[in-house]
Amino acid sequence: MQKVEDALQKGSDISNHGMVLEDDPEYQLIVDCNALSVEIENEIMIIHNFIRGKYHVKFPELESLVHHPIDYARVVKKIGNEVDLTLVDLEGLLPSAVIMVVSVTASTTSGKPLPEEDLNKTIDACDRALALDSAKKKVLDFVESRMGYIAPNLSAIVGSAVAAKLMGTAGGLSALAKMPACNVQLLGAKKKTLAGFSTATSQFRVGYIEQTEVFQTTPPSLRMRACRLLAAKSTLAARVDSTRGDPSGNTGRAFREEIRKKIEKWQEPPPAKQPRPLPVPDSEPKKKRGGRRLRKMKERYAITDMRKLANRMQFGIPEESSLGDGLGEGYGMLGQAGNGKLRVSIGQSKLAAKVAKKFKEKPFGSGGATSGLTSSLAFTPVQGIELSNPQAHANQLGSGTQSTYFSETGTFSRIKRT
Amino acid sequence: MTAMIHDLPSAWHVDQACMSEDERLVIIRFGKADDREVMAQDELLYKVADRVRNFAVIYICDNQKVPDFNQMYELYDKCTVMFFWRNKHMMCDFGTGNNNKLNFPINDKQELIDIVEVIYRGAKKGRGLVNSPKDYSTRYKY
Repeated sequence: MQKVEDALQKGSDISNHGMVLEDDPEYQLIVDCNALSVEIENEIMIIHNFIRGKYHVKFPELESLVHHPIDYARVVKKIGNEVDLTLVDLEGLLPSAVIMVVSVTASTTSGKPLPEEDLNKTIDACDRALALDSAKKKVLDFVESRMGYIAPNLSAIVGSAVAAKLMGTAGGLSALAKMPACNVQLLGAKKKTLAGFSTATSQFRVGYIEQTEVFQTTPPSLRMRACRLLAAKSTLAARVDSTRGDPSGNTGRAFREEIRKKIEKWQEPPPAKQPRPLPVPDSEPKKKRGGRRLRKMKERYAITDMRKLANRMQFGIPEESSLGDGLGEGYGMLGQAGNGKLRVSIGQSKLAAKVAKKFKEKPFGSGGATSGLTSSLAFTPVQGIELSNPQAHANQLGSGTQSTYFSETGTFSRIKRT
Repeated sequence: MTAMIHDLPSAWHVDQACMSEDERLVIIRFGKADDREVMAQDELLYKVADRVRNFAVIYICDNQKVPDFNQMYELYDKCTVMFFWRNKHMMCDFGTGNNNKLNFPINDKQELIDIVEVIYRGAKKGRGLVNSPKDYSTRYKY
C-alpha cells in the first residue's frame, strides 16, 4: 500500500509538469502505471472477497444483487449494521431498481447484525477499497493525459480516454498488442444485468469500445459490425504503437478514416432495381426433370402389355374385333393361339424389378432358414390361385424391339403340339 | 434503358422498318397521334415496348401523313396495329373477323404481351396465321 501511495505522488507530480524531458523514463512510468492499475484491481478484488466474507453474516443476498466491488463496498459502508433498510438512503449509489430489490430482500434476509469488532474491520476494508479505487482513477487520468504521447495511433482511433482504459485493463501496451482483436473487443464488458430485467436490450459483447465516439455515432443496427471493425483496427494500431512504428499517429488517423468510410458505405441504400425485359420465347429450352418420381408418374400412362398385344397382328391370321367381322376395335394378338388367355397380367414394372433385385441381393431374414409358410403357389389379383408364377410370363413381351414373329419363345400358330 | 418507340415519317421508313429486323417482330401502330383511342393504345404500347424488346420492336406511323398504306392494308379505323415478320405481314385470329390487324383497343398490358408472344412464336415456326390467346369476338356487341 505504501508503494502505491509513493508512486501516486510521483505520478501526479509529473503530470503537473505536462512536459517531457526524455522518451524513456516517461514511458517507463506509464508502463509502471499500467502494471500498478492491474495490481490495484487485484487488491480491490481481494478486499472485496474479504468484505463479502464478513458481511455474509449480516446480509448474504447483497453479494448476488450488487456485483461491482466498489458499489458493494459503498453499500456496505452505508448500511453498516442497520437492520431496517428504510432508514438507509441508497440514492446515488445504485440504480433505483436495484435499491428497490435490495430493500425488499433486506426485509426478508436471514442475516444477523455483526458484532462491533467485525463491523469495524468491515468498514475499514470498505474505506481501503474506496481509496484504492480513487487511486486507480488518478492513475488512469494521468495515463489518459499522456495517451497521445504513448500510443498516438490507438488514441487516434478510439480516443484517449478509452485507449487509457483499454491499456489499463490489458496491463500495458505490449499486453494489449499481444491480445487478439476479439479479446480487445471484450475488455471492460460488464457482466449480465440482474434484477429480473429482460436481456433483450442489453448490449452484448461490447466493452470499452462502446464508449468511443465512432461507436456512439453509428446507428444501432450496424453497431455489432462497427464494434468488430473498431476492435480489429485498434488492435492493429496498438501493435504499431507497441513497436513505436509510427510516432506521429498517421497510421491511426488513416485507420479512422477507413473505419468512417466503411461505416458510411454500409449505410448507403442498395442500387435501384432495373426492370428486366422478357426473354425471347422458346430461347431457353425447358428444364426436363427426371428421377424416380417422374418415372412412376409416367408409368401410369405407359402402354400396357395388353395394348401392345392388341396393336400387333400375326401374319396371315385375321384378328378378332369387338363388333365382329372386322368392325369395331381390333384385338390383334390378344386371345390368339400361342397365348391362351385373354387376360394379360400386369407385369412387373421396371422399377419394381430393380427394387426386387436389390432386395434379393441384401442378405435379409434369418440367414438361410426360410419361413415354413412359403409355398410355390402364387396368388394373383386376377385369377386367384395359380400354380405358375405369373410374373415370370409377364415380361415375355419385352420391349418393342423384340419381335414376336421371330421370337424364340413364341410358337407357330398352326402346328399343334404333340 | 427504356426502349423508345420511333415515329416513321415516310413510306420509305415504314418499308425499311419492316425489312430491317431479322430476329424480332415488327409492330406498327397506324393512327393519328391526337386521337383519344390512339393515345390510350400508345400508352399501353410504351409500357410494353421495354418488356418485349428482346423479341419485338414497336413503331408509330401517322397514316394521314403517310397515306400510301391506307388502301393496301385497309386502314380505315382510328387506330390499327399490324405485325410483321421478316417483311411478311402476320395474321392473328382475334375472333373479331379481321385477322389482318388489331383494330380494337386493348386495355391490359399483359394481354398485349401475350398476343405479341404468340405471334412471335408462330412467326418463328413459319406460320402465317396464329390464334390469339384471348378471344375478342364479343368485343363489339351488335
